[in-house]
Amino acid sequence: MDYLTRMGDGRPVRMSKEQIKADIEAGTKDAAEKAHVPELSGAEQEHLLEIITDPNRLVAVEPGREVVLTHDVGPLKVMADQSNSGVSIPCSREQAMCIYEKAFSADTAELGHIDYSFKPVKPIITQEQSVLQNVLHMTILPIFYGAMPNLGLYYAPDGPFPEPIGLIKDRKIGEAKESMENAAHRFVEDLEYITVRLYEVGLDALNIDTTGAGGDADFYASLTATEKIKKECPYLCVEMGMAGEFILGFHTELKYQGVKLAGLWPHQQASLAEKAGVDIFGPVVNTKPSLSFPLNIARAVTLVKHCVKESKIPIHVNMGMGVGGIPMYETPPVDAVTRASKAMVEIAEVDGL
Amino acid sequence: MSSEEALKKLYDAIFAQDVEAASKAANDCVAAGLDPLKALEAASKAMTDLGNLFERGEVFLPQVVVAADAMKAAAQVLLSKLPTKPSKAGRVLIGTVEGDVHDVGKGIVSVLLDAAGFEVIDIGRDVPTKVFVEKVKELKPNIVGCSALMTVTRVGQKAVIDALAKEGIRDQVKVMVGGGATTGVWAEEIGADAWGEDGPDSVRKAKKLLGITE
Repeated sequence: MDYLTRMGDGRPVRMSKEQIKADIEAGTKDAAEKAHVPELSGAEQEHLLEIITDPNRLVAVEPGREVVLTHDVGPLKVMADQSNSGVSIPCSREQAMCIYEKAFSADTAELGHIDYSFKPVKPIITQEQSVLQNVLHMTILPIFYGAMPNLGLYYAPDGPFPEPIGLIKDRKIGEAKESMENAAHRFVEDLEYITVRLYEVGLDALNIDTTGAGGDADFYASLTATEKIKKECPYLCVEMGMAGEFILGFHTELKYQGVKLAGLWPHQQASLAEKAGVDIFGPVVNTKPSLSFPLNIARAVTLVKHCVKESKIPIHVNMGMGVGGIPMYETPPVDAVTRASKAMVEIAEVDGL
Repeated sequence: MSSEEALKKLYDAIFAQDVEAASKAANDCVAAGLDPLKALEAASKAMTDLGNLFERGEVFLPQVVVAADAMKAAAQVLLSKLPTKPSKAGRVLIGTVEGDVHDVGKGIVSVLLDAAGFEVIDIGRDVPTKVFVEKVKELKPNIVGCSALMTVTRVGQKAVIDALAKEGIRDQVKVMVGGGATTGVWAEEIGADAWGEDGPDSVRKAKKLLGITE
């Protein structure tokens, strides 16, 4: 007998129970070796096998084991076109937030700017304050404001500092490091400016999303910004969502509270995030499109389970296209999405998705 | 100094990303009467081992770049003792396809190809298909690399391949594709010559395409 499952790019594939079992073993082993964390136990691997081979198209957790959902990309999933991961429904951002609350019964909703990077929010902050004020009047669920650090916007051609990877290629490594440090400091100033103004209007929470996309300087900037923000906005919840499973080292020497940032894995990232004052941490495990769903989800659950175990703050794992074991496909297949989500709740024991 | 000691010093110097020590160790290898090709093997092994650590996230891009400089310094000494002069491994034109502004991954591939001895021409991000074609005509690379992070922009890779075919120059250049939203199956579907899963894999595939043995 064989079972319908997926490849990491979403293609359907039929695998025998033995093949699935072998891929689960390979996935947990790969994660354990790379991140120096424990493999899933025999019982956990068996439970994952049961979830993957469940004959139903959709699977779910048992009643009482539901977890909280937070969302990224703000209202864009409703309003934006498909290339921006949306469904292109013509409506305002205020209406989109109401749809999250009243139609989706969402636990939280996130306001965001169409560019979804923090830097462009600064010159239009009064517009964002005005929309936030409207949203807060129209809804009762917790409202996040989310965007990406996207340090790339601080480098040429979009920003004032030279592009560091080009400098590294030209062996100007000192200059590259200086450029990354400058970009990080500018981002901290910008995020502080933006957040304080949104907090004044009554913002409930901030989502620093896709942290680390620009490597260790990006993570450094987000941690430093969080520390400052928590001092100025003590009642604001800060969620930090990551961009990848480990911190790329472009600068390589940056440290936060004495810990070198390059090469950190989810459990180590969460620990630093907590020290910076982050309230909810969103680890990411990248899906490998050419490998199977069983291998990818086993890898992801192994890394996230250890992150949950080591963390004292809530862990809301990133689940979506190309992360959390879910296939890299614009509209991720629902069979894989529900299986991955169930595995994260029941085996990794995450606090939220 | 024994041959083994000289080879170990060379390996260690490159592994430690010490350009000066690598050059000195290469001279020591020559003084110890070692075959320059054997010394180059030791130097290459240091780079391969560093590459493996890079794949595991234990060594990072700037370190690989400096190690490549150490390798080049050693190679300069060793190759001068050979009758034939070295040439670049090949010319690679690389860019992120139209509509896609993601270039971190493409940048990593670009640096690693350069470190592996390729001449790399990086034409940036959000590169229109016609620019890929114009640059291929003008610069005559051995390989053109098209990067795309998103499923909605990876169609730009197919557009480049189709445009090269339309211009009658598809058979003059190897096409490699890569990026977060791509797979080996996708590369095959669109008629690319190779798919690079990540930086180190892209270097391996580029070498394979040009018949360069590791």
